Amino acid sequence: MISIAMATNRSAQRPNGAPQTKVCQFKLVLLGESAVGKSSLVLRFVKGQFHEYQESTIGAAFLTQTLCLDDTTVKFEIWDTAGQERYHSLAPMYYRGAQAAIVVYDITNQDTFGRAKNWVKELQRQASPSIVIALAGNKSDLAAKRMVEFEEAQAYADENGLLFMETSAKTAMNVNDIFLAIANKLPKSEVSTGGAGTRVLNDADAPRASSCCK
Amino acid sequence: MDEEYDAIVLGTGLKECILSGMLSVSGKKVLHIDRNKYYGGESASITPLEELFAKFNAPAPDETYGRGRDWNVDLIPKFLMANGLLVKLLIHTGVTRYLEFKSVEGSYVYKGGKISKVPVDQKEALASDLMGMFEKRRFRNFLIYVQDFQEEDSKTWKDFDPSTANMQSLYDKFGLDRNTQDFTGHALALYLDDNYLQQPAIQTIRRIKLYSDSLARYGKSPYLYPMYGLGELPQGFARLSAIYGGTYMLDKPIDEIVLGEGGKVIGVRSGNEIAKCKQVYCDPSYVPERIHKKGKVIRCICLLDHPINNTKDALSTQIIIPQKQVGRNSDIYVSLVSYTHQVAAKGWFIAMVSTTVETNDPETEIKPGLDLLGPIRQKFVSVTDYYEPTDDGSQSQIFISESYDATTHFETTCLDVLKIYKRGTGEDFDFSKVKLELGEEEQ
Repeated sequence: MISIAMATNRSAQRPNGAPQTKVCQFKLVLLGESAVGKSSLVLRFVKGQFHEYQESTIGAAFLTQTLCLDDTTVKFEIWDTAGQERYHSLAPMYYRGAQAAIVVYDITNQDTFGRAKNWVKELQRQASPSIVIALAGNKSDLAAKRMVEFEEAQAYADENGLLFMETSAKTAMNVNDIFLAIANKLPKSEVSTGGAGTRVLNDADAPRASSCCK
Repeated sequence: MDEEYDAIVLGTGLKECILSGMLSVSGKKVLHIDRNKYYGGESASITPLEELFAKFNAPAPDETYGRGRDWNVDLIPKFLMANGLLVKLLIHTGVTRYLEFKSVEGSYVYKGGKISKVPVDQKEALASDLMGMFEKRRFRNFLIYVQDFQEEDSKTWKDFDPSTANMQSLYDKFGLDRNTQDFTGHALALYLDDNYLQQPAIQTIRRIKLYSDSLARYGKSPYLYPMYGLGELPQGFARLSAIYGGTYMLDKPIDEIVLGEGGKVIGVRSGNEIAKCKQVYCDPSYVPERIHKKGKVIRCICLLDHPINNTKDALSTQIIIPQKQVGRNSDIYVSLVSYTHQVAAKGWFIAMVSTTVETNDPETEIKPGLDLLGPIRQKFVSVTDYYEPTDDGSQSQIFISESYDATTHFETTCLDVLKIYKRGTGEDFDFSKVKLELGEEEQ
């Protein structure tokens, strides 16, 4: 049986009858060169896991994770590049309707920082003007091999109005924090509905109310 | 690209992207290449608007057209049947998660110079101005017969064997007149011409059922249309393929399909690079020597600043002009989408008039369709050849899709894809191979 589910922000009625909390859903896209740790960051954030030899992204349409702020539940729908960044073949669909982005580079590789700047430009060109962008200098556990200075990246982020943190998917340093910082910066009042269309879904796939903040 | 692949797919039109997704999901190592910088090939939606004007060598649009980037104009007009094959493919593969749809507001049929709503249930049949009073009753009886018809239960066939008797004899059984046959065959069963009359009636019954089942899904019409245009569909399936390990290269010219012993494909060359492969899947434009022309399709994109008359100002609609109404052998189709689908700037509409070409003056052929639209701000006409492969690819292992036909929906598109998949892999696509890792709350 097919049903149609509104792809909009929805308010969730708690099963236990607690007062309603506003639930906001946001599309967040990851960008950055291959092997800077995009998938590892998501895996750490969503599942609390880290694999030293993380394979290239396979099989995930997108992952979701929920964060609870004071009066709002923020649900991230996190899109990975699925390797399509490698030959610059990311489709416009990827940027479409994204309300947040994390641009990732590897602090031990100067080239990936240069490319991160290009991804920021690409976002400014392709994505919604109100998109919240965070810059993540990943692999901060490898500070001994650092090639990109913290101050340099911070200065660049300040100039361009980006959130910035150095992160480590391996040690979990700043991983939750960067998503939380984005969640705090996202506007929660407006009802952002993307294209205002509907999604065609199986009943079994229909989004259900999240049960975080138990 | 200097690696070995199970399959190389050339072109990122919808058919190639669905195939690429199915092959990757089935565990094949896939390289997917397009010579263009963008996804979609023939099934792309052109953006910004300046790009569309430039493509047809028209002077740049003035400021009344709003922001160019708000436009996504399809080159090939089609709708999805809500209960059709493409929606099934979208749901089973999870690609539906990347897309949003709107239900098309109305479905109309042309009779005697004016348009009427296509009647689909008993109530509408009795209210329709397409038929006289007695004909309405006969048509109602016919609809009830089709609704109650069960393929597995011969009792519902009512002394009529639809697998052997043809459709004409079923119409005759209910005493339906030519006019009613016309809109039933063309606006409900969506046949392009009248050849179906001599075919077993079961095929037409299935099509009418698909129409009414699709209608039952979301109400106003049996059709769905994706936000941001049809070009989103190939992108969605390309993402599916990438998620299952497919490699994507755009803006990569293909110089040669390299053949080995017995004319079997062994790779694809771009400049000095050769990617090895066991199979190639491609659209006709990559293999001009392996296709032949089957016919021509004319498509006319019309930009309007108003809805179409007599459609209750619908923001999206389909109008079918059955062949006989205008003395032709194939139907003329009019489709309309608008700014509400994020394919045009605020206040704008995009109409498309299309048909299979029958004369040397195709533009005159579509005039009955254009006349329904009212004032047209800008018109872009294209006449394209319609190709099919010269062989089934079993020898060369090069599997070629057919060009997109003039039908208004994706049923033939999907059938071609499923057929090619079977020719290439020797098996039907197994939907159970799709195991998307779902978000926490969906597990």
